[in-house]
Amino acid sequence: MLTSVLLKTVRDLRRPLTWWVIGMVALIAVTVLFYPSISDAPEFDDLAEQMPEALLRAFAGGVADFTSPVGFLNSQLFILMVPLLFLVYALNVGSGAIAGEEEKGTLDLLLANPVKRWRVVAEKFIAMTVGITVLGLALWLGTAVSARAVGMDISVVRVAEASLSATLLGLAFGSIALAVGCAFGKRAMSIWVTAALGIAAYFINAMGPIVAGLEEKLSPFYYYLGSDPLTNGLDLLHVGVLIGMSLVALAAALITFERRDLAI
Amino acid sequence: MGGVIQADNLTKYYGKSRGIEGLNLEVQEGEIFGFLGPNGAGKSTTIRLAMDFIRPTGGSIHVLGLDARRDVCEIHRRTGYLPGELTMYDRLTGEEMLSYLGHLQGGVDWRYVEELAERLDASLSVPFRSLSSGNKHKIGLIQALMRRPELLILDEPTSRLDPLTRQEFHRLLVEVRAEGRTVFLSSHILPEVERVCDRVGIIRQGRLVAVESVSALKARSLRRLELHFAAPVPQDAFAGLAGVRHVTVQDSVVRCEITGSVDAVVKAAAGYEVLDIISHEPDLEEVFLAYYSGENDVAD
Repeated sequence: MLTSVLLKTVRDLRRPLTWWVIGMVALIAVTVLFYPSISDAPEFDDLAEQMPEALLRAFAGGVADFTSPVGFLNSQLFILMVPLLFLVYALNVGSGAIAGEEEKGTLDLLLANPVKRWRVVAEKFIAMTVGITVLGLALWLGTAVSARAVGMDISVVRVAEASLSATLLGLAFGSIALAVGCAFGKRAMSIWVTAALGIAAYFINAMGPIVAGLEEKLSPFYYYLGSDPLTNGLDLLHVGVLIGMSLVALAAALITFERRDLAI
Repeated sequence: MGGVIQADNLTKYYGKSRGIEGLNLEVQEGEIFGFLGPNGAGKSTTIRLAMDFIRPTGGSIHVLGLDARRDVCEIHRRTGYLPGELTMYDRLTGEEMLSYLGHLQGGVDWRYVEELAERLDASLSVPFRSLSSGNKHKIGLIQALMRRPELLILDEPTSRLDPLTRQEFHRLLVEVRAEGRTVFLSSHILPEVERVCDRVGIIRQGRLVAVESVSALKARSLRRLELHFAAPVPQDAFAGLAGVRHVTVQDSVVRCEITGSVDAVVKAAAGYEVLDIISHEPDLEEVFLAYYSGENDVAD
């Protein structure tokens, strides 16, 4: 595993990723286990109808039927918890990739080898993609297996599509974190800037439909869940927008890192 | 293009604060060049410019005849580097770290790595988080040496080594030179540089104040000697000796400062029963003072 920057970085991701997978699958399983008791109680839907719309939009994406499989999974997992987990994981990995090594002081030794700076960034980006994809696979399998276990009627393919969408959202924010780290070399800055962007993006998407002047299409979250992949499958245009965001951020990372002085 | 490292009017500012200013330097092939200066003088700045970790504000720097920025990969392929602030991956062992860097460098002869580890008494099987800074440093030296590079750029290579390892390291440097390879090392310790280098560049406040052969530097260097005698010596016993000044005689203890050779003092002391001779290595500021006012001091 210690033969390239890519494999070394993947190697470093293994241990924390294992815990992330265990934690996320556990969260999914516990959540889905509640489904049978909720699906038998239509009064939950009445509850949703009685909630103020702003509150419903802010934390449940405006879903009004908690008791259908798709409504349940969306409102309990995919609208808030899943993107939150992917955001936190991705910004952690993305900010650590370059800025983390730079702050720890290992970057000099790494870049003293005959490897171009852009190449190191590119390999770290691929490693991050691998890490987030593994988390995406865990989301897919964890949800599909838990749903099957409680007899929930949901398409495994649609769950895969929603999981891929979450993976791409994570990758987009991870790439932003990577880019901020590459441009400024400060890990904390990268974390907070990306987290602030993520939170802002979440609320722009959530409140856009009911607040005049707020355009949800400006938010990456819109392209993550706006087309409701659990119901309709992936919207290729939305997938393209998320991938495009990652590539633009990657380009920014490559260019800014190539040009600047490295901190000791 | 002249030297193995060639800096022309090299200038680096960090924002408004000075790194180095108008530095001209030429390190020749096959020599051990010492880059001497106090902390903060600009030694690491120069080294990191040569490695293309930072970019000059003005002037240019060429390494192995190549442009430091454009040909960075080629330079790094042929150069072994030890950073001044050495940090390793805590979870890796020395062996894993060297294997990783070896792969990035394009493969190494592992027998040579083991030979170096034995000579420097480095432990390869312990993770870095359990190693002392001196032992980490040995791994740092091994990774710089293990590819037998044409050029070694070493930022404070011996500051954390114990005396025995330091001697072995000096022997390694001499071997490197014997093979026609070049060493550029920085240090803030004068005797260290005197012991192993051929030529020395002295840097102070971002400017190169002198480049001298070690023998010329030694002739100018200032030493403090403290001589303890069995009995009080006369006040004028050490007066008027060449290169000797600030002589104080307190009963049986004589203190003086010597520029250049200690011969005259030792010969003068030989007339009395000597209990002890203590030599205090000068700190760098004193070297600079001696250097700046060099000619005058020798005269008076």
